[in-house]
Amino acid sequence: MTPDSPRFRLGLVGVVVLSLFAALFARLWFLQVMASPEYKLAAERNQVRLVRDPAPRGRILDRHGRVLVENRMSAVVTVNRNRVPADQRASVLRRLAAALGTSVPALEERLADKRLNPFTPVPVGQDVPEEVVVYIRENQDRFPGVEAQFVAVRHYPHGALGAHLLGYVGEINDVELKARTSEGYRLGDRIGKSGVEQTYEGDLRGVPGIEKLEVDVSGRVLRVLSRRAAVPGNEVRLSADLDIQFLAEESLRQGLESARTRKFRDDETFFQAPAGSVVVLDVKEGSVVAMASSPTYEPAAFVNGFTSAEYAALTDPANHAPLTNRAIQGEYAPGSTFKLATAVAALRSGVISPGTTIQDNGVFRVSDCRGAKCSFRNAGSIRYGRVDVARALTVSSDVFFYTLGERFWERRGDLGHEMQETAEELGMGIQTGIPLAGERSGVLGTPDLVRQLHEENPVAFPFGDWFTGHNVNLAIGQGVLAITPIQLATAYATLATGGVRYAWNVAADVRTPEGRVVRALEPRVADQVDLPPAVRDPIVRGLMGATTAERGTAVWAFRDFPHDRYPVAGKTGTAQVTARQDTALFAAFAPTDDPRYVVAVVMEQAGFGSSAAAPVARRILGALSGLEEPTPVEVVPGGSG
Amino acid sequence: MAVTSLSRTATTSLRRDPAAPWRHIDLALAGAVLAVASLGVLMIYSATRRRLLDDGLDPNLFLQRQVAWVVVGVAVMLAVTIVDYRIIREGTPLLYGAMMLTLLGVLSPLGAETRGTQAWFQIGPFQAQPAEFSKVIVIITLAAYAAQHRGDLDGRRLAMAMALAAAPMGLIFLQPDLGTMLVFVAIIMGVLLVAGAQLRHIMLLTLLGITGVVGVFQLDMVEDYQRERLTAFLDQEADLQRSTYNLDQSKTAIGAGGLTGAGLFEGTQTNLSYVPEQETDFIFTVVGEELGFIGASTLLLLYAIVMWRVWRAAQLARDLFGTLLCTGVLSMLVFQVFENVGMTMGIMPITGIPLPLMSYGGSSTLATFAAVGLVLNVHMRRFS
Repeated sequence: MTPDSPRFRLGLVGVVVLSLFAALFARLWFLQVMASPEYKLAAERNQVRLVRDPAPRGRILDRHGRVLVENRMSAVVTVNRNRVPADQRASVLRRLAAALGTSVPALEERLADKRLNPFTPVPVGQDVPEEVVVYIRENQDRFPGVEAQFVAVRHYPHGALGAHLLGYVGEINDVELKARTSEGYRLGDRIGKSGVEQTYEGDLRGVPGIEKLEVDVSGRVLRVLSRRAAVPGNEVRLSADLDIQFLAEESLRQGLESARTRKFRDDETFFQAPAGSVVVLDVKEGSVVAMASSPTYEPAAFVNGFTSAEYAALTDPANHAPLTNRAIQGEYAPGSTFKLATAVAALRSGVISPGTTIQDNGVFRVSDCRGAKCSFRNAGSIRYGRVDVARALTVSSDVFFYTLGERFWERRGDLGHEMQETAEELGMGIQTGIPLAGERSGVLGTPDLVRQLHEENPVAFPFGDWFTGHNVNLAIGQGVLAITPIQLATAYATLATGGVRYAWNVAADVRTPEGRVVRALEPRVADQVDLPPAVRDPIVRGLMGATTAERGTAVWAFRDFPHDRYPVAGKTGTAQVTARQDTALFAAFAPTDDPRYVVAVVMEQAGFGSSAAAPVARRILGALSGLEEPTPVEVVPGGSG
Repeated sequence: MAVTSLSRTATTSLRRDPAAPWRHIDLALAGAVLAVASLGVLMIYSATRRRLLDDGLDPNLFLQRQVAWVVVGVAVMLAVTIVDYRIIREGTPLLYGAMMLTLLGVLSPLGAETRGTQAWFQIGPFQAQPAEFSKVIVIITLAAYAAQHRGDLDGRRLAMAMALAAAPMGLIFLQPDLGTMLVFVAIIMGVLLVAGAQLRHIMLLTLLGITGVVGVFQLDMVEDYQRERLTAFLDQEADLQRSTYNLDQSKTAIGAGGLTGAGLFEGTQTNLSYVPEQETDFIFTVVGEELGFIGASTLLLLYAIVMWRVWRAAQLARDLFGTLLCTGVLSMLVFQVFENVGMTMGIMPITGIPLPLMSYGGSSTLATFAAVGLVLNVHMRRFS
């Protein structure tokens, strides 16, 4: 056989044929044996379409079972962008625009939404009339990629009431989805984003129903393979009281509005009073009765989703970030409300006894110090004369507490940072443990912390040293010091309970839609603080004096209050903030003989605690006492912090 | 007695004549071909019954038609077997002329157009596709021309052989039917290689073929409307998403079959019409999905047997013409099987080439049986 003979060349052809067949066999082996499991899955996915029927989300009720959040049905039209055939896109959008009563450019704008995953159906019409849904469904072949359906959405019968506490629900984002895929969440699901909706997501959500359908290549449903009905979510009954929540929000709003009618120190500019917060706690149950934060927002706005610009407006500091829940996220210098911690620290450590008096001549000079910076004055340089700790709290004598601040500094060798540590024991500068996401911890300044802050950021904190003056300032609640409104309330609640510091609950129980209690939430104690009567009594006496005694800082706000039947212990605070108008604060508990409620009020750039914040608390406490009909809050002429 | 004896002797001698053609029918080839065709009928039924049922039609429609084509095909195969292939050779000019006429005719208004391709004659309910038959006639023509020159193919003769094949190819190009053109290329290469063309000529031809294809598209040698047709057929990018979709579904069907398959009529990819053109170009996916690796490799094995027997016939053939006939048929079948099966498994580009004796369709089935008939013819007459 020569290389040129046909037989030899046929042999070559045979080799080629053999190798081609070998290639086919090898490929077949790969596809059908090695890679088969993946293809089996793909075929399964092809054929089976899972249709999810979201479970009705559980309602949220107030402590008396009144509905705060429920569901309503809404007709929604969505467009699945990658299911609209490119050659039909223009005609589909034209028809859709006509059906929805909008324009093609408007639809295009919505479809261009970059925030949405390209595979996520884009909602182009919400709350559309039922006949539009029927029309689209009946002409589905002319609307490829368009879906019209009824979905349950959140409904808020009381509008913005309790918005920050309740939170809102929105479409699950990529981060949440990644973390929760194993829990059965899928793209497009709705999930609690903040507040109670977020905390009790697992209870409220329920279990989505799933229909397994067999479909052919054109999506035609051939038969139902299996069906699992949705299990509705459970209801969450809050500790909050609808009426008190309303009262708190209304009082705060009136207080802020009223504050804006008054002028700042220089009597030229009005107070801006743009924002504030009120917290009402139940110290018997360890729970939140009301929680207000202003400015607020409409949680219903989240139902239909909104544009990037609308969302930006809700978080913009220039608008005072309405989404921020100031009750747990706002950090404020406590001002004179901090004197509670100073007093407790001084009495417990023996720096003073209840009977110790200090001469208040309106000015305090730091020992061994020369110059103007060594003088600290009472607000308005008022002289209160010889005062003990109770009287000092009643009139809010700065000189008394300046003196304590200096004494703590002198005795730092054996007492350490007694004021700061006591404040933290009472619940300031530390998270309370309230089950709401985003709670801030605040700041309690110590020499170490100040040095650390300075080293980390020398621009924002130009000085890293701590002198006597720092301690003196800290004693009256100024300096490197910030607490949240709920911390303020917690500190006074710990005093009210005689030492029980709660981790506040927001819910009372979780129940099935039929009302059977699944889980009751018991009070949670975060810490037991040592507050013997020798410490507590003089302080409570002083705080009661603030609302009743002559020159008490809150006397004006609590004039004509039924003190004999509903005694209130409270403390005003006026915190100076660099480049801002003063923060007005007030914290109180009542009734003092058997404390039930704590009310804390914080109002940004609103002036004196006594004139702006105390009247808000008074209106709330008056109503809580059951003895007063609420009257409009009116800012009263104020004295010192 | 003597008469009886003589007649018995004559009979015996007729029976015992070792050179008698009918004694040398390649039963292995015939059996393998029939096995493939039968499996094809079954698979076409499986691919179409559910869809026909869903459309409210007779589920046996495609089954019955394909059975008819196979029956007619076997008859054609036997008919081709009966006439000595050397006599068929004599009719080459006639066959060639008839082929050119029908190919011209299909481009004329007599031809029918579907989806941008004018390749059919509509005859009553049936469509005849001349290009399928032209493959067989070109095999005969090339084999005859090369054999005539006893394998002494210099440049001029090679050019002549090329011209003979190029004429029908040009007409098929105008339809356009790229798949069949590629089969032509395979036939030309196979026949000329075995016929004795010089290797440098073969390489030159390969180069020319590539530049030719590129040139046709780059140099505006086709009319705009033809270009559109061609690109619609050729250009996967124009409809990339759709063609990768088809390929994905095809691979999914085969892969999902696994080792043993989903079972006859049980393939979901098949029953739910996920694979396009499944009874024609993508028929292999039905085998893959429903009969699994065992069934699909059995089919490939049957094809391998066919190839082996055709190759063997080429080796055993009495003359060069017979060898080249078988070589042409081998090239055609191997290329079609490799391209078609390779395409469904994603190792070859997607072009419309039927899987011989498996894909639904009269012209392809009849042409393939005729081609196998030629091989049987050569094989059974290797001693006569």
